[in-house]
Amino acid sequence: MALTRREFLKWSGTAGAAAAAMCLGFDLRPVTSYAAELEILKAKETTTICPYCAVGCGIICHTKKSGKLLNTEGDPDHPINEGALCAKGAALYQMTVNKNRKRFPLYRAPESDEWEEIEWEEAIEKIAEKIKETRDATFTEKNAKGQVVNRTTGIAHVGSAALDNEECWLLQGIMRALGLVYIEHQARI
Amino acid sequence: MAGKFFFIDTTRCTACRGCQTACKQYKKHGVTKTKQYGTYQNPPDLDGNTFRLVRFMEHPAKTNSMVWYFFTEACRHCLKPPCKKKADQILKDAIIVKDYGAVLYTKKTKDLEKSFKAIKQACPWSIPTWSKEEDQIVKCNMCYDRVEAGLPTACSKACPTGALNFGEEADMKKLAKERLAAAKKKFGGKGEILDLEDVRALYLIIDEQKKYRPVA
Amino acid sequence: MTNHWIDIRNSDCILIMGSNAAENHPISMKWVGKAMDKGTTLISVDPRFTRTSSKADIYAPLRSGTDIAFLGGMMNYILSNDKYHKEYAANYTNASFIVGSKFDFKDGLFSGYDPKTKKYDKSFWAFEKDENGVPKRDLTFKDPRCVFQLMKKHYSRYTPKTVSAITGTSEAELKKVYETYAKTGAVDKTGTIMYAMGWTQHTVGVQNIRMMAMIQLMLGNMGRPGGGVNALRGESNVQGSTDHCLLFHIWPGYLGTPNASLVTLADYNAKNTPKTNDPLSANWWQNKPKYMASFLKAMFGEAATKENDFGYSWMPKVDVGTTYTWLDIFDEMYKGNFKGFFAWGQNPACSGANSNKTRQALAKLDWMVNVNIFDNETASFWKGPGMKPGEIKTEVFFLPCYTSVEKEGSITNSGRWMQWRYAAAKPPRGPKSDGDIMVELFEKVRSLYESDGKFTDPIKNLRWDYVKDGKYDPHAIAKLINGYFEQDVTIKDKSFKKGTLVPSFAFLLDDGSTSSGNWLYCNSYTEKGNMAARREKKDPTGMGLYPEWSWCWPVNRRIIYNRASVDLNGKPWSPNKNILEYKDGKWIGDVPDGGWPPMANKEKTKRPFIMKPDGVGSVFGPGRVDGPFPEHYEPLECPVPKNLMSSQRINPVAPVYGTEADAHFSCDPRFPFVGTTYRVTEHWQTGILTRWQPWLLELQPQLFVEMSNELGKLKGINNGDMCKVSSARGEVEAVAIVTGRFKPFKVQGTTVHQIGLPWCFGWVHPKDGGDSANLLTPSTGDPNTRIPETKAFMVNVDKIGKRRA
Repeated sequence: MALTRREFLKWSGTAGAAAAAMCLGFDLRPVTSYAAELEILKAKETTTICPYCAVGCGIICHTKKSGKLLNTEGDPDHPINEGALCAKGAALYQMTVNKNRKRFPLYRAPESDEWEEIEWEEAIEKIAEKIKETRDATFTEKNAKGQVVNRTTGIAHVGSAALDNEECWLLQGIMRALGLVYIEHQARI
Repeated sequence: MAGKFFFIDTTRCTACRGCQTACKQYKKHGVTKTKQYGTYQNPPDLDGNTFRLVRFMEHPAKTNSMVWYFFTEACRHCLKPPCKKKADQILKDAIIVKDYGAVLYTKKTKDLEKSFKAIKQACPWSIPTWSKEEDQIVKCNMCYDRVEAGLPTACSKACPTGALNFGEEADMKKLAKERLAAAKKKFGGKGEILDLEDVRALYLIIDEQKKYRPVA
Repeated sequence: MTNHWIDIRNSDCILIMGSNAAENHPISMKWVGKAMDKGTTLISVDPRFTRTSSKADIYAPLRSGTDIAFLGGMMNYILSNDKYHKEYAANYTNASFIVGSKFDFKDGLFSGYDPKTKKYDKSFWAFEKDENGVPKRDLTFKDPRCVFQLMKKHYSRYTPKTVSAITGTSEAELKKVYETYAKTGAVDKTGTIMYAMGWTQHTVGVQNIRMMAMIQLMLGNMGRPGGGVNALRGESNVQGSTDHCLLFHIWPGYLGTPNASLVTLADYNAKNTPKTNDPLSANWWQNKPKYMASFLKAMFGEAATKENDFGYSWMPKVDVGTTYTWLDIFDEMYKGNFKGFFAWGQNPACSGANSNKTRQALAKLDWMVNVNIFDNETASFWKGPGMKPGEIKTEVFFLPCYTSVEKEGSITNSGRWMQWRYAAAKPPRGPKSDGDIMVELFEKVRSLYESDGKFTDPIKNLRWDYVKDGKYDPHAIAKLINGYFEQDVTIKDKSFKKGTLVPSFAFLLDDGSTSSGNWLYCNSYTEKGNMAARREKKDPTGMGLYPEWSWCWPVNRRIIYNRASVDLNGKPWSPNKNILEYKDGKWIGDVPDGGWPPMANKEKTKRPFIMKPDGVGSVFGPGRVDGPFPEHYEPLECPVPKNLMSSQRINPVAPVYGTEADAHFSCDPRFPFVGTTYRVTEHWQTGILTRWQPWLLELQPQLFVEMSNELGKLKGINNGDMCKVSSARGEVEAVAIVTGRFKPFKVQGTTVHQIGLPWCFGWVHPKDGGDSANLLTPSTGDPNTRIPETKAFMVNVDKIGKRRA
């Protein structure tokens, strides 16, 4: 029977496990680092929703004051999952704390066989130039029937069902303002 | 603190492996390099990075043509742990038992390396594992740090279907009794709780034990 | 979902078909389990015995691609044995409607088919209308031209013997499923269907779902707790991304994208606003002009005026009769017709059908922008297997982004619950949030267009007041999506000030005085606050609605079509299925699907299916491109030379692509087995996020192919052996899982073997993990949606190596 998060919060900031361990007089030294267990109890809790399937389970992130992610586990208050998580949700910590995350923009030049790191400013600038160049080169005011279409069929876009609602709306607005009609994403497959 | 128990109703498990993964996440375990060897079960066995393992076993059956049993395995936290009995012969209290029943392998078990095989064999389920990383014997520690703070174990919290339950002895035994009755009703009289008198992890199964996990 | 996750516990019989919920929506099994604790029966129908099947009371196998045959047989059973809910069907569906004399069905074809264009003229399926232009009805269901009788005739052909010979399910198994599920036609019982890609990814995908919707309507399960048609959406926010229409054919709120023949907004509204002559039909889409105008005001703000049609002509238009879907994108790309491409949070090199075609297509681009967290097969396509980087000119930009716990915003789950989530972890130095990337990119493009460029109006006029100091603000956008009063307005005796948030879509107007990014979400962020962020656990009805936890569309209605859950007097059809009741002149329970009184009040009422022009559920579906009644056709690639139901082997209007990368074969000895693709609990989609996580990769480290013991024996393949799986389009290497969970099918007297693979692996990582199963799948899809047929195609499997140590 899981305690609710409110009951969990009652314990935050108390000596908790550390004190309990100390009083027993044993050198327990658990498999996990001694420091970590204390941090979970004193950590900041933030609610989020799992980024995988569409059940929409509640997850609690434990972070240090610095914002460092310490732990992720189910939100016991969430009415759908009630604290439970499948393997993917349970592993969420590892999507964020992962040495394989790409940190900086990468660029692959024509005919090159490798990536090179570039600065954000350069990446945004180059991409914007490409968009304008392509849009201007392929923009169609009227179609073959002479009907006004004001679009570009030279650029296509796919993605993403993993974006937030607000990002999705903004993205569709931007792509449509640029005149794209080939706009698709995961829902189509 | 009053005694804690696990109750595992295998009839409800869907092998989502939330339990296996939640344990790793909480403890920030490393991983074992695994291969696909013809089953969903991975790693093949409990190891230094895997304290809870969901076992997969499938068998032909009369109803629905097949059964696919999932068995979430970890240390039973025995009432009279045979691993401790063996270990104490060599080095007393390298293995300790908390008042609520958690059987814990302390850092002192690093000095039991020579007797590790015997300790492992003393366990009916071969649970004890040697961890190269930690340089000691390891296994499920009942998330004692969470439990002592009044929290459920990471694994039992993750379970969505009520297969893996954890709590006070009286509550878990009551639940086990109810679920046993329900299982017998649903599965034509079949159902048993394993090792009821000896362990703090009560497993409800509805078929022969060897159909859930390899039996020595 | 018409209902929602927790509501599953209210069901008496749960059919999981076209879905493997235990593996792809694992936590849903909590609610399936709670229902089963009360005695609910779980039925799993799947070509393979899955983790879902392991919990089912009844498991029935069926060959991939034969769901309509299976369900057609169920409809036959329901109608022949009077298991349907007569009063519900008569009053709430179009089962009583009289179909016009031009409608006919012969040998697999509905009337109106033009073999030259391979299209139907849907006018052949129109209803007979009375002098008022309202469809004629026979509420007794006796008229031979009424939908009920036509449907009975149509599905009388789906006898157990015929169905069994198509699906490979035994007649005994069919009978068991039909009998069990049909019991939910009883007034005090409801049954639910949980389905997913197992139904959508076929050339008959839409009709698969229609078949079940028709069954649910006839059994009286729509709009009721524990009933409904429940699409288990895939991604965490695919519901939201669909609602906000990152799809070519719709604008946010499901407003059809205007085609070029609709020159003005008035033209669009005239053509696309459904009309009805039935005074009892609410025909809610009649409000479309309000939603269009409000959407355009959200797009272009103050620049959008009545004079310029609210910027209607600034929006790109599609051509009449042309599709711009996923399959079309990669077909055009393969032909070299795109210069630029965005793959934003998606991995098409592994997720799209026919991966070889997709990957070769990418090589024809001038440039591509890839936004993601990890490296992936799309970003790095140019160094993939078989690629010659020195010959590929594509410039590729990879932009690293935040993970979900590093940013704030909302996502909408499959139950239409919009849930707010917060930034928890401080992101590492380097990546940016997707929102900030969007803002910076667009601002840069806009600055480049300041001096010159083609048709700058939409770029210059795109509303941007929700961006503060060049920073993305999710709250500001969420508010715009809800919508504002753009000037002082009085509606229904209520006055609203300019700049305040619109309380619900009932207050949106078509004259430019309101804005709303998405009318469906109007009510989500109001003067009362951010409804999506609510965390109240009250459940006043006790039926699991949780009306104050987050917010759902529309207007927080938790079960849609809920006015069908009550009888003509507004009483729940059965007291144990009460989520809405009309008492003392008002509705109590869920948000009613319109506040009109129940149907017994003939003056003031409206029919319950308010989004349909006729106000009733469509048992007969005259709007689909492939017919008003689902009919079994074989998949594009199939193991049998003929379709038992008719001479039409495949869907007569299914789109088929014709490049050399689109080869497809049926009954070809080189590809003798049915192949299918699916997922596993431990990985997500192409694995682009999960393969990089050691805890998950440890669980499922390598690509596998599941096959029956019989097929293993036939091909000399043992469990754990290395195999090559091939199709007309490509091949992958996979480890064999030889299992009793697949069994050969007896189809039309012959043995048909089926195998399956998960599509969660890719060559980028791990190096020994295997590549995408989509290397095998075909580029064909449903004619209504063009969702690719990745669930049924033909393959071969051969052993190439011994069991790995």
